[in-house]
Amino acid sequence: MGDDHQQVPGGAQLHRNTLSRPVRTFRVKMVLLGSSGVGKSSLALRFVKDEFRNTSPTVGCAYLTRVVHLNHATLRFEIWDTAGQEKYHSVTPLYYRGAHAALLVYDISKRETFIRAQVWLKELQTHYIPGSTVIWLVGNKGDLEEVRQVSAQEGQNLADEKGLLFTETSALSGEQISELLLDVAHRVYECIGAQQGGLSEWQETPFVHMHHRNTSNPLASCCKVGP
Amino acid sequence: MSQRTERRGIHVDQSDLLCKKGCGYYGNAAWQGLCSKCWREEYQRVRQKQIQDDWALAEKLQREEEAAYASSHGAQTQSHPQSSAPQPHPGHASMGPFSKFEEKKTNEKTRKVTTVKKFFSPSSRTAPKKETQEGKTPSPSISRHASFETDQVTKDFVDFLKNLQKPGREIHKQCRAFIVNMSSKKDLSADELSECVQDFYQNMADRLMSHFKGSSESVEQVMDQVEKYIMTRLYKSVFCPETTDDEKKDLATQKRIRALHWVTIQMLCVSMDEEIPEVSENVVKAITDVIEMDSKRVPRDKLRCITSCSKHIFSAIRITKNEPASADDFLPALIYIVLKANPPRLQSNIQYITRFCNPSRLMTGEDGYYFTNLCCAAAFIEKLDAQSLNLSPEEFERYMSGQASPRFNSSEVDWSQTGPAPPVTNPVLAQLNHNLELLSGLSSRQETLMEAAQSLQADLLSWPEGVQREVNNILEKYPLEILPREVSAIDANNMDNDNLPPPLTPQVFAG
Repeated sequence: MGDDHQQVPGGAQLHRNTLSRPVRTFRVKMVLLGSSGVGKSSLALRFVKDEFRNTSPTVGCAYLTRVVHLNHATLRFEIWDTAGQEKYHSVTPLYYRGAHAALLVYDISKRETFIRAQVWLKELQTHYIPGSTVIWLVGNKGDLEEVRQVSAQEGQNLADEKGLLFTETSALSGEQISELLLDVAHRVYECIGAQQGGLSEWQETPFVHMHHRNTSNPLASCCKVGP
Repeated sequence: MSQRTERRGIHVDQSDLLCKKGCGYYGNAAWQGLCSKCWREEYQRVRQKQIQDDWALAEKLQREEEAAYASSHGAQTQSHPQSSAPQPHPGHASMGPFSKFEEKKTNEKTRKVTTVKKFFSPSSRTAPKKETQEGKTPSPSISRHASFETDQVTKDFVDFLKNLQKPGREIHKQCRAFIVNMSSKKDLSADELSECVQDFYQNMADRLMSHFKGSSESVEQVMDQVEKYIMTRLYKSVFCPETTDDEKKDLATQKRIRALHWVTIQMLCVSMDEEIPEVSENVVKAITDVIEMDSKRVPRDKLRCITSCSKHIFSAIRITKNEPASADDFLPALIYIVLKANPPRLQSNIQYITRFCNPSRLMTGEDGYYFTNLCCAAAFIEKLDAQSLNLSPEEFERYMSGQASPRFNSSEVDWSQTGPAPPVTNPVLAQLNHNLELLSGLSSRQETLMEAAQSLQADLLSWPEGVQREVNNILEKYPLEILPREVSAIDANNMDNDNLPPPLTPQVFAG
């Protein structure tokens, strides 16, 4: 179902020596919102899967980091998972305080999660000045086509109406996951990175360095780097 | 009465009535047969001796005690900085070998040292000198312990800045000036204080940034040290300041958590199985960490406690579920931990961190994430109601008012609504429940036994009656007929004689 979203630059090339270039690294706070069981955690795990291959097994997937390299900058995504149970709804605003990106996740096979996503959206928009947070509507579990309750068109319509971006993904198969992260990264960099002081800089610790050298992830290559 | 008169009769002898000392006056039985004058003398003498004996004993005891103190004193002086804080009376235990006079003198000295210290407090150059004084006077009170910690931080800070050479001195000067400046602003509101500190951080960071030509790593390092130094110094005046109602909130939260003592792990839907020893170990560690937060002074150290607590929770969930914990699992677990721990001054600590921590650490970063979760947990506990525990409002009210407890499920609490089994929160409770079950089993067996015994008793009581009845019946049926007995004398009325052969008659045989 990802046909409607082909923004990934074609000329992506893999490069491992990004860190040798003096590229500024920014920290990006990305919050995952959505009902319980829509696959937020799986999505987060998918985002960072490549990075964790070489480290000790993670005990939690509530807070994860992932480095994404763009043309002119490196973004260090800090992915904040949130508790989706309805009873914690009232405390959720604490999570998205200061977030640069918010992924609004729903399950395409459960209509009520789509409705809840709209409730969340309303709240997000009352708390945020447009432009300070990139809000992305994500229809997850794209692999459950046969029990689909929310059509892709409905999702797209809602996104258009509210001025959001929209993607359908599958955390199970990994479809559209890396594309989504890259799109978010671009969007965040364009919208917020351009503003003065929109993003704070992150000094990479040796740990991250080491990490990155050992893994050659295709995501690091979204943008072609000329010599 | 009669006895007395009798005795009087006996005591009529004059010599018996006179004083035993032979002074010629009359004696009295109440004075052991002495006259009043001799009795007084005798009494005084005995008392004097008693007093002297007491003194001697007291002195002996004191010597022994002093000897004991002196032997323990050696060990104490070595470890005094650690063991000093909880001593309620400064210089008592460690004062053993000194006389009272010396103790008094040392107390005066202590007082002087603190005033001197106060006078010089913004200056760190005196730090090493104070260090030696600290060693000489082993009489630390709580405040002195605190200043020891402050000195240590000052020393570390100076050592750290030495590596930076010239800018280091500049940084130190500014920090000192800032602290002096802050001490004159005690009556500001908490938000204004926070603003001052944050402004200072910002200015310092900007200046450092230009000095280090944008190497944010060095800037962060220096800023961490600056934060540590400044906040250790300012802690007393800005933690839970009197101008705020933080303390009231702390008490309210504490009361609230106490009232919620009955909340079980099942009600919060926490996926931690405390019956697994490793899990319960992690739970205990998490509780310890979140309680420890209150003892730290620097916001970053407090954050570290929260992070460590969170890591333990993740381990506990991971062991229980055998898969990485998501936020859906984590937040309820953290709420549970906070409810179990009831961390001291929770609201004050959250406020303090929010006001005086480097803001970039709170909004982003791992520490920031866990801190946000703790804030969520605190907010959730404040708003917690029946619905958030999947209880009916009536049940919630009953538990809150203490009329019922989910732990001791009596038969009238209908468990069909809340869960199928009584919730078991930890191994000890499980054992307790098990024992209770055993006991109730025993008591029911006892009851049946008692019933059986009673019925046996009833049976026993009715048995003789039954037998009696039966006997009576039989007696009735076959009444006893006492037939007149014919007393037959052998030789009387030999009625049958006729049938008997004739008696043998002796025959004489001629022979």
